[in-house]
Amino acid sequence: MWPGTQDWGGWLTSVSVPAHPEADEKSSTNPVLRAQGLVREYGSVIAVDGIDLSLAKGEFLTIFGPNGAGKTSLLALLAGALRPSRGQVWLRGEALDFGEVEWHRRIGVLSHQTFLYGHLSAEENLRFYGQLFGLSDVDDVVRDKLQHLGLQERAASLVRDLSHGMRQRLALARALLHDPDIVLLDEPYTGLDPSAALVLQGVLSDLRDGRRTVVMVTHNLSEGVALATTVAIMNCGRFVWQGKRAELGNDFGQFYHGVIEGHG
Amino acid sequence: MRNYLKQVGTILWKDLLVEFRTRERLITMGAFVVLVAILFNYATDWVRVSPEDIASGLVWMTIMFAGLLGVGRTFHLEAEDGAFQGILLSPVPKDAIFLAKALANFVFLYIVALLVVAVFIFFFGLEVGSNFGMLTIVIGLGVLAFVALGTLFTAVSTGTRMGDTLLPVLIFPLLAPVVIYGTTATSQFFSGRPVTEAEGSIRMLAAFALMAFFLGSWLFRFVVED
Repeated sequence: MWPGTQDWGGWLTSVSVPAHPEADEKSSTNPVLRAQGLVREYGSVIAVDGIDLSLAKGEFLTIFGPNGAGKTSLLALLAGALRPSRGQVWLRGEALDFGEVEWHRRIGVLSHQTFLYGHLSAEENLRFYGQLFGLSDVDDVVRDKLQHLGLQERAASLVRDLSHGMRQRLALARALLHDPDIVLLDEPYTGLDPSAALVLQGVLSDLRDGRRTVVMVTHNLSEGVALATTVAIMNCGRFVWQGKRAELGNDFGQFYHGVIEGHG
Repeated sequence: MRNYLKQVGTILWKDLLVEFRTRERLITMGAFVVLVAILFNYATDWVRVSPEDIASGLVWMTIMFAGLLGVGRTFHLEAEDGAFQGILLSPVPKDAIFLAKALANFVFLYIVALLVVAVFIFFFGLEVGSNFGMLTIVIGLGVLAFVALGTLFTAVSTGTRMGDTLLPVLIFPLLAPVVIYGTTATSQFFSGRPVTEAEGSIRMLAAFALMAFFLGSWLFRFVVED
């Protein structure tokens, strides 16, 4: 039996939701990203159903769950791309004012889609986003990112001519271009071959530098657990299990399926 | 303000660069207007009507239809791999996005609108003379109003199941003032009348273009958010 299946205490101790976010901001263990009672409805369908979370600086939360569990909607709510039906998101104690564009300076989002223009080169795409984010040293940042992700040789290639793996790395470079505090990753391993997945794994490992807070949604159980400091399993819009990675045993796959079936 | 204008310029430049590489919209619109002018030329009984009587109406209707072809594709390339979502997740005010997209549409459609005037002058044997400068201003004002409404309603219709069909239904009723005042002013120029006789129409066109731009900037955020 996996620890924590019935016991929510471990999670609540480590990432509890304080009653007064502003007061908590003053403490040394300030949550960087917090959500309380987050609900998103699409007509009669409830995609996200009362999610509470609180993540500290340096924390890496991996969210697993079947298709339709509400994972992507949750990320969109945290990114400020979707308006919550109910509930609130705070970033460093500051409530998200939906439509406030400055919020986006602090968040980097890697989605299912790359957000890249096929008719622009890798370098032009990054420069475009760098200028939108108002980076003062765009050329240097773009060069560094391309080098860091091993794309400097293809800097002048049009994005439509790049392989899926290269596009995915470039999308990650775009998401990290403005050095965000919070990184939200939605299925970053989708469609990657093993070698491309290995490169991505290295880049994602670098994100665990203690400076950033990362939330990743993935179906890749082994990679997702390996990177995480905290793990959550989502089903029907709710977290049905959550705990520290240290609490997990050896066979996460079996545990995951057990949790999903138990809450199906 | 400087940052705002820089963001507008960045999106505008990107749109122009992508269009320069794909030539998707300009070639389609350009070919369309030349073919339409040729067809109108052969479809008109020159014994019964004089070119000056019908040319201005045909010019404006050609601009409207060509505009629909171009403006209707404003967000098609943006939809490619979610690029527009990338812009929305950047710290760019929504009105800046609208402004940039509308200005890009203005550049494309204004080039095509001048081509429309040129091919109609050629095929219909029209004389504009010293009014050519004012004619380009009138065309510019009409195009400005068109792209303001067109950009807004393309954002509404893109992503809907009947997007391509929906756009003309939404936009044509609102463009009636552009066609009325644009045609009236253009008709004066084609007939060799003095500019003073078209002043009222030009003022109305300018007021409508300004109003369309402000309304578009304000309403755009409600269309693209969420």
